[in-house]
Amino acid sequence: MKGTQLGEFEELVLLIIGVLYPEAYGLNIRQEIITQTGRKVAIGAVHSALSRLQDKGFVKSELADATHERGGRRKRLFQITASGKRAMEKNHELRNSLFNQISDLALKGLNFGETN
Amino acid sequence: MERRTKEYQPPKWANRFLGWFCREELLEEVKGDLLENYLLERKTKSEWRAGVSYWFHVLHFLRPFALKRKTQDSNFNIMYKSYFKFAWRNMQKHRMNTLMNLLSLSVGIACFIFISIYINKELSYDKFHREADSIQRVVIDFVDDQGVRIPDATTPPALSLALEKDFPEVEASTRLFPAWGSKFLIGTSDQQRFYEKGLIRVDSTFFDVFDFPVLHGNLDEALNAPDKIVITKSMALKYFSKVDVVGETLTVYSFDNKPHLVSAVLEDIPDNSHFDFDFLTPLTFYWINKNWGWFNFYTYIRLSPESNSNEFENKLQPYYETKVTNPNDKNNIIYTQPITTIHLRSNLKFELGANGNMSNVYIFSALGVFLLIVSCLNYLNLSIAHSFKRLKEVGVRKVYGANKRLLIRQFLVESFLILIVSLILAVLFSELLFLNFDELLGSKISLLDADNLSILLTLSLGVLAFGLFLGLYQALFLSSHKVSNAVRGIFGSTGKKKYRLQRGLLIIQFTISSFMILGVLVVQRQLNFIQDQNLGLDVNQVLVIENISSVNNLDLFKSQLLNIPAVESVTSSNGMIGDFYSTTSLGYPNSFVMNFVNTDPEFIETLGLELISGRNFNSALEVDKQGLQMIVNEQGLESLGLELGDVGRLLPLDKQKGDSIVYGTVLGVVKDFHFRSFKNEIKPMALFYNDDGVNFLSVKLATDGLSESLEKIESKWKEFSNGTSMDYAFLDQTFQTLHIEEQKLKQVLLYVTVLAIFVAMMGMLAISNITIQNRKKEISIRKVLGASLSHISFSLTKRFVLLVIVANIIGIPIAYRVMTRWLEGFAYRTSIDLSTVLIVFGIGLLSVILTAGLRASNAGRKNPIHGLRTGG
Repeated sequence: MKGTQLGEFEELVLLIIGVLYPEAYGLNIRQEIITQTGRKVAIGAVHSALSRLQDKGFVKSELADATHERGGRRKRLFQITASGKRAMEKNHELRNSLFNQISDLALKGLNFGETN
Repeated sequence: MERRTKEYQPPKWANRFLGWFCREELLEEVKGDLLENYLLERKTKSEWRAGVSYWFHVLHFLRPFALKRKTQDSNFNIMYKSYFKFAWRNMQKHRMNTLMNLLSLSVGIACFIFISIYINKELSYDKFHREADSIQRVVIDFVDDQGVRIPDATTPPALSLALEKDFPEVEASTRLFPAWGSKFLIGTSDQQRFYEKGLIRVDSTFFDVFDFPVLHGNLDEALNAPDKIVITKSMALKYFSKVDVVGETLTVYSFDNKPHLVSAVLEDIPDNSHFDFDFLTPLTFYWINKNWGWFNFYTYIRLSPESNSNEFENKLQPYYETKVTNPNDKNNIIYTQPITTIHLRSNLKFELGANGNMSNVYIFSALGVFLLIVSCLNYLNLSIAHSFKRLKEVGVRKVYGANKRLLIRQFLVESFLILIVSLILAVLFSELLFLNFDELLGSKISLLDADNLSILLTLSLGVLAFGLFLGLYQALFLSSHKVSNAVRGIFGSTGKKKYRLQRGLLIIQFTISSFMILGVLVVQRQLNFIQDQNLGLDVNQVLVIENISSVNNLDLFKSQLLNIPAVESVTSSNGMIGDFYSTTSLGYPNSFVMNFVNTDPEFIETLGLELISGRNFNSALEVDKQGLQMIVNEQGLESLGLELGDVGRLLPLDKQKGDSIVYGTVLGVVKDFHFRSFKNEIKPMALFYNDDGVNFLSVKLATDGLSESLEKIESKWKEFSNGTSMDYAFLDQTFQTLHIEEQKLKQVLLYVTVLAIFVAMMGMLAISNITIQNRKKEISIRKVLGASLSHISFSLTKRFVLLVIVANIIGIPIAYRVMTRWLEGFAYRTSIDLSTVLIVFGIGLLSVILTAGLRASNAGRKNPIHGLRTGG
């Protein structure tokens, strides 16, 4: 099932929804991505990811009250659901466990171009 | 409710576009986010840039998640499916009609593609140089004492250097010194060597003027020392079997026997360059750098981009006159030619290669456009004719509630379907044409090349626009009928108007066809005329061997050849038909330009010239060989101001230094003969008994055992020339190649005309079909009342005959004018006579009889009962 997988960009959006809670909506998620990661993304890309996350049941959303700076349009606020939280945790654990399995030697061997 | 900040509004059209494609339920949040972002950006960016960014974000919503869902059974989908279904059924129901439609349209489009790519290539000559617009060739026309101007592409060696020094606007200049028909023996070693004619000697500044794509090596230093050589990729492969050969050495045996260092490898010279070469070496004749009297170098200059070439040209003539030393040269006219115009517009003496011809480009483009028009008109005609049959269908649709918009959609779908299929067919078909005609075009071409993509794109757009027009027209026309009439299949009064339109279209088609038929006939006649012309010489069975300077002992070789029984005579000369390019100034006190050839006493016999007065050269007389005794043609005699009785008289030829006058004698006179293409008039020509620059050997052979005698000659050649290969050609073939452009024209014209007639006939067939169907009842009644078959056929066909006659009356005078203009380009030309015109008429009438007539007699033969029962 496609609902079980969390893509890289989707995970990023999911995390940022958590960071911005309870005020996460399309535009500020995009701005947060730009400021935190330096990645230039289009508004459409964020919306697309949000819609996928919602389809997979990782986030839920509701329309907030209208504000005047949006020409009277309501914004859609996003929250992480329980299964979204689980998917995030699963990803996090998987990474940590994989990272911990890397032997010290391998990391030392790769001194990442630093001299000592 | 509107509390929006009035001063900042995002682009209206972007919003409208968004609303068109974006799902309703997403629209509010999306628009909100976009607006918020826009307002934020307006604080830092200009309105324009914020607008662009707004558009950018809007377009980024073109993703599946945001698009309006079209579910499988939405009304929209079902309707389009039904349109396709009906289109498909209609095509199947009238298979013949569909096939004719597709065929005629795709053939027309394919020919158009083919011709436009050909023209595109012709127009692209020399445009690949980076600063092609600033590159000019400087040329000097000779003007003789009688004021006759002889265009000439060559210039003195001093010109290039002087221009660069004295004119600040000349940014770079270079001289070219081509091989002048001779060949160079080039090799990597004594074992591996070939004769090459593509060697040009140039100044080290060559690459400052021209841009030829380089593969290896540094062009700035490629020609700065006499022992360097630049070669092309195919030569690198030929001599070294690899491409990167910079640093290898090649020996040019012919001029200095020294090894030359390969300094750069170029991509092969593009087809669309007006000159061609395989090797470049630096010019080493430093001692002639001040010479203003020789004319054997080509001068190319690159002007600075901001300079005005007209102003430069105006300064040239006075400058040139101050420089020349020989007072006669002051009359010469110096001017410049933009390099991009040389291929199509320049036809000077000593061009570096065969050039194209602007008038052929015009003729070809007219053909392409004509054929496209004919096939589009035909399609229009056929589908209008066809749509009559569908009136009932449209009526029924209307009864069931179809409105104009739905009908338009349906017809649009149908016409687009056919047009797209025929476009695809046309592309395939044109690829086929390219495969078969690459010889005609002189190079491999494909429509799918990146260069030609724009043509394909324009064409597709044009075709689609045509489809739009056609679909709209059909739908609007058919839906304009009263439902009650339409259901019964009855046209209102517009039906007759319809026929008028169709007849008009047919007249245009046949006008164009008759125009083209006349064109083909005239070109054909002119080519036959040329072939039947009395050349004044016998070119049959003459073998011309080139490069005989590499023969060790020419006299012995000649006498050995004469021992071969099939060899009738042998003559050596410094030029051959089409290649007689030596000229000299002759006559005193009024000089003129005389073409001449250095040859021997056998020349007249070998080439079958007719001596009408005086005598031939005599090898026993030393005085004949001194270059002052000559044999001239009739033109030459006239230019010298002599008559036949003056043969043998001493006459003044030229003034030498110190005012002594050189005298010479005309030994004999030969009848005029064509030594260049028929486009040129016969010019004065003189033969001298001399072996200066002799490079061609002409051998007259007996008719039988040709291949055998050729073998014998080749084996003799091998004995005398150190094993180099023999280059030869038959003179009659050489003569034909002089008219290669006209041959090409004839071929293409013939194909295109046949296609145009074919397409027009299809149109005629379809229209007569419809007419007959609509008059079925009438025919049956006539038959019952006792009309004969011929009477019925005649009454059905006479309209079409009239049509073709009208078309011819319009088409023939136009074609007559155009073709007369074309013929004026030939010095020796045929005329357009009545019989040609009659043939055009005949072909037109024949095509009517073959289509409408046959159809009519077919209808007349049917049992009238069927017509009476079912006819409408």
